[in-house]
Amino acid sequence: MQKTRSFHRRKIVVIFAGTVGALLFLGGRLAHLMIAESEYYAVLAEDLHERERSIKAARGRILDRNGVVLADNRTVCTISVIHSQIREPEKVIEVLCKELELDEAAVRKRVEKVSSIERVAKNVDKEIGDRIRNYGLAGIKVDEDYRRYYPYGSMASKVIGFTGGDNQGIIGLEVEYEEVLEGTPGRILTLTDARGVELADTGEAREEPIAGKDLVISMDYNIQQFAEQAAYRIMEQKQADSVSILAMNPQNGEIYAMTNVPEFDLNNPYTLSQEQRAAAEAKAAQEAARKEQGEEEAAQEAALQDAVAAVNGAALQDAVAVLNGAALQDAVAALNGAALQNAGAAVSDAALQKVESTLSGEVLQDALNQMWRNGCLNDTYEPGSTFKIITAAAGLDAGVVTLQDQFSCPGFKIVEDRRIRCHKVGGHGGETFLQATQNSCNPVFIEVGLRLGVDRYFEYFNQFGLNQKTGIDLPGEAATIMHKKENVGQVELATISFGQSFQITPVQLATTVSSIVNGGIRVTPHFGMQVKERDGTLLKVYQYEDDNRILAEETSETMRYLLEQVVDGGSGKNAYIEGYRIGGKTATSETLPRSANKYISSFIGFSPADDPQVLVLCVINNPQGVYYGGTIAAPVVREILGNVLPYLGVEREVSQTES
Amino acid sequence: MRQRAGKTDGMLLVIVLFLTGFGLVVLYSMSAYNGQVRFGDAGYYFKKQFFAMTLGLALMYGVSRMDYHVLGRYAVAGYLISLALSGAVLVFGDAYNGSRRWLSIGPLSFQPSEYAKPAVILLLAFFVSKLQKKKSSVMSAAVMGMVLPIVGLVGTNNLSTAVIILGIAVIMIFVSNPRYLPFVWIILGGGGFLGVFLSLESYRLERIAIWRHPEQYEKGYQTMQGLYAIGSGGVFGRGLGNSLQKLGFVPEAQNDMIFAVICEELGLAGALLLMLLFGLLLWRFMVIATHAPDLFGTLIATGIMGHIAIQVILNIAVVTNTIPNTGITLPFISYGGTSVMFLLAEMGLALSVSRWSG
Repeated sequence: MQKTRSFHRRKIVVIFAGTVGALLFLGGRLAHLMIAESEYYAVLAEDLHERERSIKAARGRILDRNGVVLADNRTVCTISVIHSQIREPEKVIEVLCKELELDEAAVRKRVEKVSSIERVAKNVDKEIGDRIRNYGLAGIKVDEDYRRYYPYGSMASKVIGFTGGDNQGIIGLEVEYEEVLEGTPGRILTLTDARGVELADTGEAREEPIAGKDLVISMDYNIQQFAEQAAYRIMEQKQADSVSILAMNPQNGEIYAMTNVPEFDLNNPYTLSQEQRAAAEAKAAQEAARKEQGEEEAAQEAALQDAVAAVNGAALQDAVAVLNGAALQDAVAALNGAALQNAGAAVSDAALQKVESTLSGEVLQDALNQMWRNGCLNDTYEPGSTFKIITAAAGLDAGVVTLQDQFSCPGFKIVEDRRIRCHKVGGHGGETFLQATQNSCNPVFIEVGLRLGVDRYFEYFNQFGLNQKTGIDLPGEAATIMHKKENVGQVELATISFGQSFQITPVQLATTVSSIVNGGIRVTPHFGMQVKERDGTLLKVYQYEDDNRILAEETSETMRYLLEQVVDGGSGKNAYIEGYRIGGKTATSETLPRSANKYISSFIGFSPADDPQVLVLCVINNPQGVYYGGTIAAPVVREILGNVLPYLGVEREVSQTES
Repeated sequence: MRQRAGKTDGMLLVIVLFLTGFGLVVLYSMSAYNGQVRFGDAGYYFKKQFFAMTLGLALMYGVSRMDYHVLGRYAVAGYLISLALSGAVLVFGDAYNGSRRWLSIGPLSFQPSEYAKPAVILLLAFFVSKLQKKKSSVMSAAVMGMVLPIVGLVGTNNLSTAVIILGIAVIMIFVSNPRYLPFVWIILGGGGFLGVFLSLESYRLERIAIWRHPEQYEKGYQTMQGLYAIGSGGVFGRGLGNSLQKLGFVPEAQNDMIFAVICEELGLAGALLLMLLFGLLLWRFMVIATHAPDLFGTLIATGIMGHIAIQVILNIAVVTNTIPNTGITLPFISYGGTSVMFLLAEMGLALSVSRWSG
């Protein structure tokens, strides 16, 4: 056996020394990591381990001007199961099936699924949630949550709007005032392992949610109810497609009521009514039929679609041409006829085949979007004779006409090469401008328009704010569809003068007329008035522009008188209420294409005529039978004013009729 | 010539027993979560480790009672067996985590590369002490030639262990050779070789890049998780059993990265104490090696010291991201039955040598 020599020992010591050196170095490195960089890594590790569970904040309520709650929250529960904590799976399944009235197989699938947390049911009533919690079964988690609740169901549905799954606004005021209404969610911080499973007994940090703010709007619950009832009544009576009614304060733009019937149920916004469903199904079938059509029909179809596009104002020039050119009109009519016949035939076949088919997602979404549309501001229409208010105001302001100016109406007026008819075929004969307004005489207003000329007319159009959006605090306001000034000749100017060949929204009309009769100040139509804390503390008062003069004070006064005369003895006499001074104007307009023989009848009225406190616009779409605005729309406004004026505290002037 | 057997090194025994006990406790803490998640049994890893440790302790006792000179006779046979087993594992082995490293006999699995380490130590100690009369450079070359087959075999599927075996061999040859300069050349040459070796395959260079900036790479995940664990430990740690990083964040917390979680639970203080313990262990090996009655005993103790030193240093260096990530376990602490069994057998060998010290 070899002896160990001294160099062996020396070298062993060298190795040991090297090892100790390395260990010391590593110890130093460790100390650096664990002291100097400890903070850095600890924070990163914290981020890794912490899971945030957010606690939904209560959404602010929407209150009417008198504090009536229009949109509220209801506590609902979300029921989940945590697989790893369940001890008695059969019992859990049994209880959940019983309390939630769910299919056993579905519940079993959730309960037996190996996952950290599985949601079984959402939006469960608090009562049921409490009952489930009281069973005290391990592994069932009952989380409380808020759900939007609308106490009046469908009332003002298109104005108020509704919220989605995360309580975020989808349409209407709910989305426009999202920032005010939405709260700040709270947080529960918990520690979890790498699979995201929460660790027991590590404690949790909690940040309380901050509830959203209450929004006070100018809507008046009672006026809104009057308006809706009146709208539903006239819609049924006249078998109309829809009716829009808007009531506002012409002095400051506050909207008291805005309805577009049929409204929809805010608590079930994704449910179509039976008729709407049928319509959507028919449309879907038609869609399907279209796909089956051959190339020839497809070509016709394209042409039809072009015509429809014209209706939408995409090609307004074409529409105007259609309006005036009989030949073109015939062509379109023929086209419509042929295409519709084809489509119709195919539809009936397809419809029969697809009776049981459910609506496809896209069709359903279209139908829902249609149902949610707020006709007062999302859609435009040809205002017709109510627009004569604008022509009159412009004419009087410019001095091209006075109330006493004499005119003569033979029943038509020839502009360039066209003969534009008055609605009274025999003509109104000799009349003053005041009488012409009472008669809603087209030739006289054409004359006033022509006296103004294109330049001045457009100046007033812009000055009155008709070319801009009103700025109403609701989403999706449609813009005015107007001719380009350089394309407007005498004929176009003539049609504009009595409210045809262009389109505006009902809210634009109401706002402009408000501004004309309130002394000449352009108002901003709006709902939002105040922001309040839940306890009523006032946080914010919304201010709207109120110093934009668009018309001389005197002209405004003349206009009030003129429009009162329309109701007192003219075409608006059906809006007359004894003891109240009411001004207004009727309109009957025909929708595009003219061949469809569909009408829109409307009336805009305000009262008291000397100091307007409320202005009401009623638009009836496609009424059956008699369709004159003065006959069917004026009484609706009278009914509403008859209710609203006493409600607003406007005194009847008994002596008025005698003076 | 031969002395009578004296007393065993009591301090070494105490340190080893303490390390095994500490290792078991820490291993239970580290592996309970993974055991629960994967096998539904928090004690899954603990039980297996406990079984292997019990076997290892018996083996240690047995070996320590033997005259290590007797083992010299089996050195060649033991080495040939390790070659055979390492060859067999390439053909019959079970793959786990993508590496073919285990031989299964019934319910037991066995990692031949762990067995190769003591086999190589014994073989080299035996031959070097026999060939000491020869010219040192010739002897060194011959010894190197002997270990290369096992390094090659093990290295095909377990590079880290091959490097450890090579390292043990280099240390033993270094000690047996009176000169220093050639080893400087060997180290420089080895460094150069490593450079070429790394640059040959892009994935190896990627490892370097990950090492420099672990936070920027997907594959730096393990390293970052280790650093999170170390950093969140602070001076005194979260307390035994309170690690969060072991809850699935550090992959295989009971294996290579166990030291990081020890840092998290026991803090800098605990980690330094553990390192001190390893230092004491190595010190005992040095004492035994320098006091051995003959070169054979000296070299056995030297080999064992080299083995433990390499693994401890490399493991901690990897965990602290001081060197690029490579899979090296922490002796006595990391999970691994074969490893702990043969480590304890090696301890028995060291104890046996200590009994004959003068």
